[in-house]
Amino acid sequence: MMTRSTKKSNPLKWVRFRVILVGTVFGLCFAFLVGRAFQLQILEGEQLKTKAAVQYKRALNNRPERGTIYDRNHAELASSIKVASICAYPEQISSPRQTASALARALNLERDSILGKLSSSKNFVWIKRHADPTEVSAVRKLDVDGIDFVTESRRFYPLKNLASQVIGFCGMDGMGLEGLEFYYDSFLNGRENSRTVLIDALGRGFTAKGPFHEGKPVYNLILTIEKNIQYIAEQALSEGVKKFWAKSGTALVIVPRTGEILAMAHVPRFNPNAFSQYEPWLWRNRAITDSFEPGSTFKILVAASALESGACTPNSEFYCENGAYRIGRNVVHDIRPYATLSFQDILKYSSNIGAAKMGEKVGSAYLYHKLKEFGFGDRSGIDCPGETRGSLLPVGRWSEIDAGAICFGQSVSVSALQIAAAVSAIANDGFLMKPYLVQEMTDVQGRVVKRFKPTVLRQVVSSKNARRLTRMMERIVEKGGTGVRAALKNYKVAGKTGTAQKADPAGGGYSDDRYITSFVGFVPAERPEILVLVVIDEPQKSHYGGVVAAPVFKRIARETLRHLKVPPEVAVAQIATMQMSSEAVRGHLF
Amino acid sequence: MMAVWVVLMVVFIAELLVYTWCRVQYVRTGYEIAQTTIEHQRLMELHRKLKVEDARLKSPERIARIARQRGLVMPDSKQVVVIP
Repeated sequence: MMTRSTKKSNPLKWVRFRVILVGTVFGLCFAFLVGRAFQLQILEGEQLKTKAAVQYKRALNNRPERGTIYDRNHAELASSIKVASICAYPEQISSPRQTASALARALNLERDSILGKLSSSKNFVWIKRHADPTEVSAVRKLDVDGIDFVTESRRFYPLKNLASQVIGFCGMDGMGLEGLEFYYDSFLNGRENSRTVLIDALGRGFTAKGPFHEGKPVYNLILTIEKNIQYIAEQALSEGVKKFWAKSGTALVIVPRTGEILAMAHVPRFNPNAFSQYEPWLWRNRAITDSFEPGSTFKILVAASALESGACTPNSEFYCENGAYRIGRNVVHDIRPYATLSFQDILKYSSNIGAAKMGEKVGSAYLYHKLKEFGFGDRSGIDCPGETRGSLLPVGRWSEIDAGAICFGQSVSVSALQIAAAVSAIANDGFLMKPYLVQEMTDVQGRVVKRFKPTVLRQVVSSKNARRLTRMMERIVEKGGTGVRAALKNYKVAGKTGTAQKADPAGGGYSDDRYITSFVGFVPAERPEILVLVVIDEPQKSHYGGVVAAPVFKRIARETLRHLKVPPEVAVAQIATMQMSSEAVRGHLF
Repeated sequence: MMAVWVVLMVVFIAELLVYTWCRVQYVRTGYEIAQTTIEHQRLMELHRKLKVEDARLKSPERIARIARQRGLVMPDSKQVVVIP
């Protein structure tokens, strides 16, 4: 009763007490909040900001796809696509044995190899990189903890073996290892670009934050190669190599007036999608990296030097010693004995003795100077890795037999590209062009960034002498010449056969049963559109350039001209006649 | 005086709502951009794969094989007529 009466008597006091109590509690709470805010915002602000950023910001690093390689008509030769690679976190795998067995079945791999990886102490291991979609699907179905998938970029060559030695290939990490992939790696390969993205609690990105950091740009390559001509060359070469049981072959198709390479074929070929399954010597672009003694095809260039020197004319005559000519301690032979041959018949019948005597008349110093001008003993500067200089000894080191042998293409070594470029100069009115494989570089939007134009290196022979040589080369392909099997219907061919003994690494000197046969020619002879060089290494059934290489030339030239829609010379003559007669009619009318 | 307070409160609340609506829209648009970016990347990758497949199908080796199977041959030079 006393208490109740006290409360009733002091209601205001009681209210005040409660207000103060509540105020104190709220005040303490507020003070705590202020203190906590001060601690979070001021004292630990920077540290916590950094900690939070890790949770709601994510740096997205994007490595741009490697540039695409196209042929001259923008057909894809090499492209990059995204594929999945399968990896594992060994610590998270509960039963490595069962998992290894399941993965081995799904991926067609050895179980022990997988088990070794899964039992390792590493945090992360690759199970299979660049797996096929079917394999990825099979592994997904297993639904095993500790197995994960990483998206990677993979280089893919849709035309498989086509031009594989020219294009080259990339390794697992997208770095160019051979061919143009290696040579232009810094342009094809971009550097990572990055941007910061905000993420929500579920890890989903929802907006970009901050500037976009551009990486190094990526460029595409447009080659001078034409895929259909490349295919024609590879098919014809492959059949030639097969028919004569040869070890290997190389063929080049060049536009003489520009130096553009339309085809660079090699047999045997390899598939760059699975390059590791092939022997490394098959990866090389042998037309550029390997040198050989060219044999009689070299006589054209010796003849060009002879004409340029003024010491010889097409009708100069040389005594060919009836098939055997002693130079120092060595005897040079012809396949058939000849008494006297004219300058042009030396080329037509491919007389070694005649060529050696031609060289004697020109003189070694001038011959050496002219051969250097043709580009022998030096790199052409083509945009391909590993180009050989070949071997042309300085004239001061030529022995008596060297001076003679060089005239018929022995004691000198050249690359297929060098010989093709040198003969192209004759087809191009004497102007030596720099051969090239890439005509344009474009950015990702397809805009041309750089254009490679034809480059004249120098004029090696006069136009008059180039035309004279062309006529002589036409005779080689006519009846009685060594290159008659290269003749084409309706087109005049100018060409030269070559047969060279290979050096014998075991016994020294030259081998009696190992040859390199070749044929180089251009067509139509009057206004050359293409030059074709065919080199076949170690044919077994026959070893004459006119028998082995000339038919391959014929097929490549015929099909390429048809593909390029080069009208037959007969048709061109008809067109000229029709145009003349129509102009005459017009003249009468007006 | 009371009316002024009411107006101020209404303005304040309206501003708060508009701001909240803007933030929601911002986040929603962010999600849409992220989704569209992913879709764009997916389509670009598909486009790239289709281009590679197109190049594979246009391989001269494959076309020559199909042509041979169907009995097609290269025309002889006599069969080609050049129109001036």
